[in-house]
Amino acid sequence: MTSRPAEMTAAGTPVRLWDLPVRLVHWSFVIGIAVMWWSAENHRLDLHFKVGLVLLGLVVFRLLWGLVGSSTARFASFVKGPGAIRAYLAGHKAGTAAHAVGHNPLGALSVIGLLGILGLQIGLGLFAQDTDAVNSGPLNFLVSYDTAKSISHFHGFVFNLILALVAIHIAAILYYRFIKRDNLVSPMITGRRVFETSVAAPRIAPLWLALVCAALAAALAVWVSWGFPPFATPFPWDRPVQQVPDASSYM
Amino acid sequence: MRWVKSTRVVEPIIVTKSIKLALATLLLPVAALTVPSLVEAAGPSPVFKLRHDNFEAMGKAMKGTFDEFKKPTADVTAIQANANALAAAAVKVKGYFPKGTGPEAGEKTAALPAIWERPADFSAAADRLVGAAKGFQLAAASGDLAKIKPAAGAVGASCKNCHDSFRKPQS
Repeated sequence: MTSRPAEMTAAGTPVRLWDLPVRLVHWSFVIGIAVMWWSAENHRLDLHFKVGLVLLGLVVFRLLWGLVGSSTARFASFVKGPGAIRAYLAGHKAGTAAHAVGHNPLGALSVIGLLGILGLQIGLGLFAQDTDAVNSGPLNFLVSYDTAKSISHFHGFVFNLILALVAIHIAAILYYRFIKRDNLVSPMITGRRVFETSVAAPRIAPLWLALVCAALAAALAVWVSWGFPPFATPFPWDRPVQQVPDASSYM
Repeated sequence: MRWVKSTRVVEPIIVTKSIKLALATLLLPVAALTVPSLVEAAGPSPVFKLRHDNFEAMGKAMKGTFDEFKKPTADVTAIQANANALAAAAVKVKGYFPKGTGPEAGEKTAALPAIWERPADFSAAADRLVGAAKGFQLAAASGDLAKIKPAAGAVGASCKNCHDSFRKPQS
């Protein structure tokens, strides 16, 4: 993909910036985090587990998409070292910086931070348990009661870190909106934005590739939800065991 | 020479004063810490720890049981051991809530005053646990997972039933 020279766009015309998968994942995170908070507060753990597994799949998908997806989704294209971040900030201060097509080097930290903390939180949730150790994550059986108890407390604490990162994320959007007069929200909805100058057109990856990544991510999430059974284990529906009582029956 | 001597006399006095002040500021918190620890030496009721450990034993038995359900093949012997531990702990619950062991005792506890305000309801909730634990023990002894799972679920329901009314919700 990177071997072909980038096409330049005409100045002042809408450019396809964020592809559909990036936007879908982004807004799913917004809804998903809200649902996870609400379901935890209201002891709707059945919902909490389902949405948690969807979020696991979404994070895995986003990581895959960061490797093989569209140019603006790829980590290699926007994650930069401290030198590049300093240079960006210096250019930003002097007002000489060219408009980043996609994430700027500082914003890249926000992407990594948010994805990382979401991954951590979901990972902890897989091992966490409720007060009476009846409701628990799908991998809870791999750790001891005391380990799971500590993980559960940490799971509650990490949510505060997520809130902090979300607050920073929203503050940055408001800063761009009202100080720099730059609307970042509508490109995340429509996928398009207008650049005043001619820019290298982002390469949009084909949708079938996104479907392959989504299938892989979903398979991993389902496998985890079954408790990481080793290969060649019969599928749950092939096992001669009756159904586990539904969570709601003892809630 | 005399003038110099006199300053030598004055100097130690100032030092002593400041040392006294420093000692006083150091000792004040020590004294403050010592007083409550002396009071505590009388000790909180041992029931707090016994009760906590008993609930934790039941939590471990529940986790041990549901762990087996999550594994590709459940170990019925492990479930039976957990069911026995659970039934043994369940009968102790009611006795671990004597008057004066609520939040007013100042100890770390999730027990709500409702336990002592509505003793009949609390007693019924504790009895429900004992009954469910006995049922689970019987089901486990049968070795039939089709019976074990709903019976374990009924124990979980009795945990929740009581927690909903009588345990401080986890924040």
